[in-house]
Amino acid sequence: MLQLRNISYRVQDRTLLQDIGMTAAPGAVTAIMGSNGAGKSTLLKIISGEIKGFKGSIEWDGRPLKQWSGKELAKTRAVLRQQYNLQMPYSAYDVIAMGRYPHFRNKLTNQCKEVIEKVADYVGVQPFLRRNYLTLSGGEQQRVQLARVLSQVWDTPSDQRLILLDEPVSALDIQYQHQLLALVKALTSVNFTIIAVLHDLNLAMQYADDVLLLKKGNIVCFDNKEAALTAENIYHTFGVKAALHQAHDYPHSFITVCPVMKQYHNLAQAE
Amino acid sequence: MKAFFVLLITALLVSGIVAIGMGALAISPLEVISIVLHKIGISINVPFTTQQEQVLTIIRLPRVIMALLIGSTLATCGAAMQGLFRNPLADPALIGISSSASTATVLVIVMGSQLFAGFQTTLGQYSLNVATFCGALIASVLVYRFSQQQGKTNVGIMLLAGVAINAISGSLTSFITLSATDQQLRSVTFWMMGSLGGANWITVAGILPFCLCCVAIMPFFAKALNAFSLGESDAAYLGVRTERLKTAVMMLCALGVGACVSVSGIIGFVGLIVPHIIRMAIGPEYKKLFIGSAIGGAVLLILADLVSRTITPPIEIPIGIITAMVGGPFFLYLLWREKKKTFFL
Repeated sequence: MLQLRNISYRVQDRTLLQDIGMTAAPGAVTAIMGSNGAGKSTLLKIISGEIKGFKGSIEWDGRPLKQWSGKELAKTRAVLRQQYNLQMPYSAYDVIAMGRYPHFRNKLTNQCKEVIEKVADYVGVQPFLRRNYLTLSGGEQQRVQLARVLSQVWDTPSDQRLILLDEPVSALDIQYQHQLLALVKALTSVNFTIIAVLHDLNLAMQYADDVLLLKKGNIVCFDNKEAALTAENIYHTFGVKAALHQAHDYPHSFITVCPVMKQYHNLAQAE
Repeated sequence: MKAFFVLLITALLVSGIVAIGMGALAISPLEVISIVLHKIGISINVPFTTQQEQVLTIIRLPRVIMALLIGSTLATCGAAMQGLFRNPLADPALIGISSSASTATVLVIVMGSQLFAGFQTTLGQYSLNVATFCGALIASVLVYRFSQQQGKTNVGIMLLAGVAINAISGSLTSFITLSATDQQLRSVTFWMMGSLGGANWITVAGILPFCLCCVAIMPFFAKALNAFSLGESDAAYLGVRTERLKTAVMMLCALGVGACVSVSGIIGFVGLIVPHIIRMAIGPEYKKLFIGSAIGGAVLLILADLVSRTITPPIEIPIGIITAMVGGPFFLYLLWREKKKTFFL
């Protein structure tokens, strides 16, 4: 369980986050959404420990985050970013093995090797485990990175596994987007705690459980996805009109965003 | 993998023995072995003359050991710099660390001659090392600060900052030499040629602790540097204390490069070529890379020095010229490859 209370963050005179509170429960995907500059990535960086000088408190697994040592955290919290620019020709296996670094000193232990095998199997990177990472396609690279991130916390006690995803699918094509999010979503069944910054409303609707909507550093809404992603909230957060459609026999509604015709029209006339 | 290391070590032994043997006074490999064994109290049935023995112990051996030390240190530092910048194009000479250290050396030779009478003592050598260490450290911190952009290395800026620092150091060096006396000018010029000609047991002893420190400690940062290649924040997520890592690697590099520059001037491209070849042979994993680079760098520099003093006897070609002649085209080739990968800039 990850609990954020009254998180505020200011840089010089600009308030980037104001009084953010949320709870991410084990076994759930929590999506952080908002338009550009709303503070999504800043919030994620606060949770991941990259940003330090914030106000408020974060509690992870019943203990204030500040009381965790870097080594302990490395075994329980892992972060997947949007894109990596690795320049050295490591094999995919080497990259995944880096996820095990907090768990061994000099040599990969048998436990580590087992975990890597299992994770590689789960993520489906077995076929190119021995290949040079730099020669893989973008989608394959991101899956290797996911495998690395998962192997980092794979054998940690079940509800102490926190995965942070910072726009994990923004650089991927549609097939890989769904593949990766489905993999992540399936982890909730074994009690992973997952927090993801997402851009796509429909992906959030499909794969998230709870949604936190941010606008200019303030909370618009934090609720389960059906309650959060309403036309009204979407308009308030992103400034676009949206329509929600419920298809027959479909578990959740899907969202279309209406084109902002009127404004374009005015623009065209002005020219 | 093991075969590769056996090959490297064999190459080191062979090149060492050949390099000791070749020169104005020839000593055959067997005689070399015989003399060395004789020194440690074992005699085998190969005769040698006293003259050979003296040439070996006073001239050749310190010079080969010097080449070994400098080669392995420069190559190790090159590999470490590439790890720090997360890019295979970093090299101590290329990004201005060596030239900054050389400015410091000239400064000490010219300004400090009253303070330390003569540098042909181990203590004088140490004082030079301290100065070059500072020079090298300033340059590495500067280039690093300049080239980091949102947690990534901007390779273009890294190389251009290197160009700028090389220019500044060059001009400072020239400026300082203007105010040097004839005697100082001689030692500055002698040293600036980038040559191992001045090698003797005193200078060897002067750089030995620094080089050893750099080459021996660097592999302990191998795992952290592997993680660092993912990105600085990602290394932190993996529990690496990145600030400590960066400081340590920069200090060790400055220590090693500074010591090398203080005795041999700027010898470029060793740190670029050697890690690259080792990486192609055994992969980018830093522990193996450091060990491989240290041995490979020693081999390369022993051979380069051998060429420099035997190709046009009795004149010695400064070794820096030879490494640049090989390394320059090699660098262009690397740039060409980077360009194709579209990673560049």
